[in-house]
Amino acid sequence: MKIAVCIKRVPDMDVRFKIAPSGLTVDESGLKFDMSDFDGYAVEVAVQITEKLGAGEVTVISLGADNVQETLRKALSIGAHKAVQLKHDAPVSDGYAIATALAAELQGGGYDLVMFGRMAVDTQNRSTGVLTAELLGMPVISAISKLDVENGMVKARRELEGAFELVETSLPAVVTIDEGIARPRYPSLKGIMAAKKKPLEVKPAQLGEQRYVLEKLELPAERAAGRIIGEGKDAVPELVRLLKEEAKVL
Amino acid sequence: MTDSHVVFAIVLAVALGYFSYNVQRLIGYLRIGRLDDSRWGNIPARLWNLIRIGIFQEKIFRDSVAGPMHAAIFWGFCVLGAGTLEAILEGVIPGFSYRDLLIDPAYRFYALNQDLWGALVLAAVGFALFRRLTKRVKRLMGAETHPNDPLLILSWIGALMVTMFLAGAFLYVGYADEPLVRPLTYAVSRAFTWVNPSTARLLAEDFWWAHVLLVLGFLNYLPFSKHLHVVASLPNVFLSNTSGPGQVGVMQPMDLEGDAEVFGAKDVDQLSWKSLMDGFACTECGRCTSVCPANLTGKPLSPRKIMINVRERLEQKAPFLTGDTTYQKGDRDAVMAKSLLDDFITEEELWSCTTCRACVQECPVSLDQLSVILELRRNLVLGESRFPEEVMPAFESMEQRGSPWAFDPGDRGKWADGMNIPTMAEMAERGERPEVLYWVGCAGSFDDRAKKTTVAFAKILQAAEVKFAILGQEEKCNGDPARRMGNEYLYQMLAKDNVETLNKYGVRTVVTACPHCFHQLGNEYPQFGGDYEVVHHSTYIASLLAAGRIPIVEALHAPVRTFTYHDSCYLGRYNGVYEAPRDVIKRALPIVNLVEMERSKDKGLCCGAGGGRMWMEEKTGKRINAERADEAIATGADAIAVACPFCMTMLNDSVTSRDSHVAVYDIAEVVADRLA
Repeated sequence: MKIAVCIKRVPDMDVRFKIAPSGLTVDESGLKFDMSDFDGYAVEVAVQITEKLGAGEVTVISLGADNVQETLRKALSIGAHKAVQLKHDAPVSDGYAIATALAAELQGGGYDLVMFGRMAVDTQNRSTGVLTAELLGMPVISAISKLDVENGMVKARRELEGAFELVETSLPAVVTIDEGIARPRYPSLKGIMAAKKKPLEVKPAQLGEQRYVLEKLELPAERAAGRIIGEGKDAVPELVRLLKEEAKVL
Repeated sequence: MTDSHVVFAIVLAVALGYFSYNVQRLIGYLRIGRLDDSRWGNIPARLWNLIRIGIFQEKIFRDSVAGPMHAAIFWGFCVLGAGTLEAILEGVIPGFSYRDLLIDPAYRFYALNQDLWGALVLAAVGFALFRRLTKRVKRLMGAETHPNDPLLILSWIGALMVTMFLAGAFLYVGYADEPLVRPLTYAVSRAFTWVNPSTARLLAEDFWWAHVLLVLGFLNYLPFSKHLHVVASLPNVFLSNTSGPGQVGVMQPMDLEGDAEVFGAKDVDQLSWKSLMDGFACTECGRCTSVCPANLTGKPLSPRKIMINVRERLEQKAPFLTGDTTYQKGDRDAVMAKSLLDDFITEEELWSCTTCRACVQECPVSLDQLSVILELRRNLVLGESRFPEEVMPAFESMEQRGSPWAFDPGDRGKWADGMNIPTMAEMAERGERPEVLYWVGCAGSFDDRAKKTTVAFAKILQAAEVKFAILGQEEKCNGDPARRMGNEYLYQMLAKDNVETLNKYGVRTVVTACPHCFHQLGNEYPQFGGDYEVVHHSTYIASLLAAGRIPIVEALHAPVRTFTYHDSCYLGRYNGVYEAPRDVIKRALPIVNLVEMERSKDKGLCCGAGGGRMWMEEKTGKRINAERADEAIATGADAIAVACPFCMTMLNDSVTSRDSHVAVYDIAEVVADRLA
């Protein structure tokens, strides 16, 4: 069983971002980076599958500048077997261009299962996984919360509003992973040490055409502070007036 | 030389030979442990430990009942050892007696002491047996103990004394010219005046034989008994680091660069040989377990069990590693497949520990139960990534954001907004250097309750016109939670980052309100090239108050307030700071009634947050903080003072949950509240 997991390096989201002077990316100074959450679930699921089978190989692939190697090592430290960096230094926003590069790498790799997180937590495009599947000509099941691989078949569960569906397809296939499926394990020092010795291949990314470009990145306007207009009954008329005239909700 | 001398010489040779064989066998077992060369330095300090803890029984006396009892037996053994030697020499050398060696007053003194100490030991042994058999002393019980062993040993010692007295008594009956140097023995002999002198002489010899055989038997039973402590405890006290030399409670760094196959310890052969020796020196007295906050509140941890398990597993595994076929029990593969971790000590026991150091403090023979717990935790985390799942976010956040709580590192200095407090970076830019760096810590920076302490302390510093700065965003978690939870990798990452930052600014003096930061920066950062003078805010405020540098309002008619102070483990037991915080309260509040809890100072009960417990759920038994809060409330105090942000959280939560009106303050708040 050969599994590929495509992962993305993203900034820690629990901070207040600043926009870089270019206006096209966030200011990276002081930011910490890690694997996108959903990609982490995907790596964990892939590792669990090979552990359960007692056989198989998990390859993690990431596109980007050399700093993605850190993210790839992290995936190796929690049990992936080998890593590929598709080297491309400039930021790319169009999922199609990325999917083209990934498909070029995946094509002919002999992978039975290709996994993605359902989206990158920073850009939230949700497009790369499904576009890659299309380029590979493989069936894709997106945003799955449970996965069984047996006898050449993939059985997956998808969460809906108040319901769920069970979907089945045959291998090779692409799946994108939703939350709730597995929490990535915490890398042990043993894993971190082992990861340093696992193969990490660097190749130039064969990026496809960028069919759209990011024009501008902006932060939402700061919310104005609340106002205390008074206390008790006396404040009601003023409140009503403001709700009518300023907030225009009445 | 008579036949009986020849027979005795053979018996003695066999007995000493077998004893020395067993001692060497056990020393061979210690050799399977990890190398540890931190045990031989500073001989004067070690000898001093040996004298005060070993010879003067300093820690034994911490228990007012068992203390004198044990001291009587121990000192008795020391004195009676001379008599035992005489008895043995008598057996080998015909006609030997100290009488011929010692000039008269010296011999009388010797003989009188044999007599008196013999009686004292007999009385103490009798009391010990009585106590064990009739009183259910809680700390002497426990599933892990060997309850029959002490009964056997005590009876054995009793028999040693009885045979000694009887051998002497029959000498008095048998020989009319025997000098009256042992009054108690003579008194015993008066009960046997009806015995014919020639029979008495034979009986004296028989009891001498009984006595020396009991001695030699006792000696050879020791290696198989928990009473091996008779042999192991004095060397153990000498080799122990738990009372110094050096700073106590410091964890040793792991080499993370090497090609280690095992991280921390999973089994006995990965523990330091000294930890293995601790297993031999353990007396199963249970003082450690009786003060363990986890054990007291119904958790599965017993520090005594940890030590007993170490010895059990060592005696199970070592014969297979040393090729000692006589003591190999069971199937080799089955024994080798087991490990100290999991098969003897469970994960839950290990995670129950708050690292409060009460067990180590209490141990009369200076065992280090905590180091075993921490080495096993290291293996759990670094080797197997096994830990309570709720700890994961803390680990991840320490790594990502430099704080165990998921706050934006950019907000670290936010509490100081509008207070006109410079950061080190700002000062450096102006080419200035502060008198002290105020190390705020994560709790002090992000926790709403602790932030009030932070502001209070900053106001005190300002009022005292201390020129200080903070690091702001450049400060990171000191790493203590990671290290105590076994995550040495994460710890070293944080510690090295912090040392780099501090050294970059040439920091010399650091003051902090957090005992965990205090202990790390002052005592453990030197391992990474960070050498600073680190002062805890309690000591710092106390000295500012003493120097009259803090302007405090006069309040002659202020109401009398009753305070009780809760000792933080990392301030108290780890660093010996007990008086400064109490001093601060008394100085700041001229009309204050300071009451002590039942367990205070070095006997203080942990709040429950140490050792990373702050980030773990407490599911079993009573909550430790509730136990402590109940104790504090029971003093009748109207306020509890603390000097640690974690103690603050734990006690505050618990006091609130008990609907108590008792307030919890940090000592800095007490002072800041009275600033003029």
